[in-house]
Amino acid sequence: MNRSLAKTALAVLALAGVLWNAAPAHAAAPAPWRPPHLPDGHPDLNGVWQVLNTANFDILPHMAKAAMALRAGPNGPVPDKPVLALGAVGAVPAGLGVVDGGEIPYKPEALAKKQENQAHWLERDPEIKCYLPGVPRATYMPYPLQIFQSRSALLIAYEYAGGVRNILFADPGPAPVDSWMGQSVGHWEGDTLVVTVTGQNDSTWFDRAGDFHSDQLTVVERYTPTGPGTLRYEALITDPEVFTRPWTMHMTLYRRVGEDARLQQFKCVEFVEELMYGNLRKEPLK
Amino acid sequence: MTELTRVLSACGLVMALTAAAAQAPAQSPAAAAAPYHVPRTSFGDPDLQGLWTNASITTLERPAWLAKPVLTPEEAVKAEAQYKKWLSDNDKTADAPESEKGDPGGYNSFWLDPGTKFGVVRGEIRTSWIVDPPNGHIPYSAAGGRDAMATGMRQFRDFSGPEVRSLGERCIVGYGSTGGPPMLNVLYNNNYQIVQSPGYVVIVVEMNHDARIIRLGGQHPPDSIRPWMGDSVGHWEGDTLVVETTNLNPGQRFTADVRHRIYLAPNSKVTERFTRVSDHDILYEFKVEEPTAYTQTWRGEIPMHATKGPMYEYACHEGNYSLPGILAGARAEEKTAALAAAGGPK
Repeated sequence: MNRSLAKTALAVLALAGVLWNAAPAHAAAPAPWRPPHLPDGHPDLNGVWQVLNTANFDILPHMAKAAMALRAGPNGPVPDKPVLALGAVGAVPAGLGVVDGGEIPYKPEALAKKQENQAHWLERDPEIKCYLPGVPRATYMPYPLQIFQSRSALLIAYEYAGGVRNILFADPGPAPVDSWMGQSVGHWEGDTLVVTVTGQNDSTWFDRAGDFHSDQLTVVERYTPTGPGTLRYEALITDPEVFTRPWTMHMTLYRRVGEDARLQQFKCVEFVEELMYGNLRKEPLK
Repeated sequence: MTELTRVLSACGLVMALTAAAAQAPAQSPAAAAAPYHVPRTSFGDPDLQGLWTNASITTLERPAWLAKPVLTPEEAVKAEAQYKKWLSDNDKTADAPESEKGDPGGYNSFWLDPGTKFGVVRGEIRTSWIVDPPNGHIPYSAAGGRDAMATGMRQFRDFSGPEVRSLGERCIVGYGSTGGPPMLNVLYNNNYQIVQSPGYVVIVVEMNHDARIIRLGGQHPPDSIRPWMGDSVGHWEGDTLVVETTNLNPGQRFTADVRHRIYLAPNSKVTERFTRVSDHDILYEFKVEEPTAYTQTWRGEIPMHATKGPMYEYACHEGNYSLPGILAGARAEEKTAALAAAGGPK
């Protein structure tokens, strides 16, 4: 009896202790994570960042498959001739997609064009010719990007094709001319960097799956620090020529650290010379 | 006082020629006392940020038509007028004489933007960027000169395939060492944007949208890593950014502008110094060291001036009609020659 009383007493004391210890933590609920700020007061986005997704293959949900370029086989699609030799190296990893709602609201004729793009991927995807990727595709190419941020400037350098974007913080008005990477005008909304991209030409795609846009594209990007090593990236896509309504995508950018935090050079122009100009050699390769 | 005269008085280093010509009497050694205070970034580094240009009539090496290392303001005005005339005389019109129709020439002067003034460095109107050796020429050794000539001649004569054409025609990097190192002025698009962040200085070269990412501190990569524009590591010496570049790509060892040629031996070490000498001017110095290709270390000095944006996207490869045109032209010439050798088309 005494023993159980003692046990009970100990248990009560122990519980009280737990509550006592726990109480202060409850009083000050874990503070939301606050990103480090530069001396000028804006969140410090400096660093080397990269996605860990398969959006560059297809921004929509997709299962793994044998190749981007397929042709009909006796029992379903098989890799097309030009990519057959690549075997598993040429296969496509699966992904749950990055488009909110899992659907791109194409106008009917635009959807037909996307499907045609898919069927002619090898001839049409601008990535195959090492063309600048445009926005938002630059963000989720399977290469890192680096943000250089100071009080007066914010520059994004992309490893792929050596693309660069200078983010303007004073709106100069409409872009003087269309370009591959467009004109980027930024502002801060709290800890979120918001960048409006206009003036992009109609030659870039969203992915290898033929998803495309016109020169009426506007992209509003939102970069929000969500932890010491992560940024949430959102893009609002508006293009009344191609889509029936605006749509959004979102994904996570991860910080590369230590020795990995360095952009290498991927100036791929020289890698596509045989593809693009090989037929013009004095002695074309057999 | 004009802004330019103020700059001249304040630092006595770099000024625009117009000021030199118009305000020369105002130049007094007594006024050079107040040193220029280089602004700082929010993280404490000397602030070099902004858009800069090195457009100028002055070239890497001293051209034959300018015998003197330094011009008087009167000589400069005369030479600048002569240069302007040459540019416009170069223009060919659609109704050119029959004798010139086979040769379309280069760009009309409308498309060129080489600058209209000689560069002024340390108060001198310079006729070459190279100051050492004093003759204003790259001091090639016999071996360096041979490789420079052989590499250059191949680019001028060999049209057998894309890889033997110049880096500019291939859209791999801008021509004439516009991206450097050393960063040299060419016939157009002589614009640079400098952006700094903690631990980095980035120079975006307009041609071809190349970001030279300079790490402040650290080591160069193994010898097998040889990027275009080399590998650059920087540090601050007082207010001066010092950048050492090694690991140069052998494919970049010869490059030419209409006005200069530069052979950069692949094992060269290039040291650049960026000193902001006024709100509107950076003094850019460089030296090239390589014991086999040159008989001595050679050095140059180039003024960079603040300029206005926007800096446009130079998407070279995406619109490269030239390279397939050049190769197809060579194939057409070979076909014509073969037909002629076989008796000619009837």
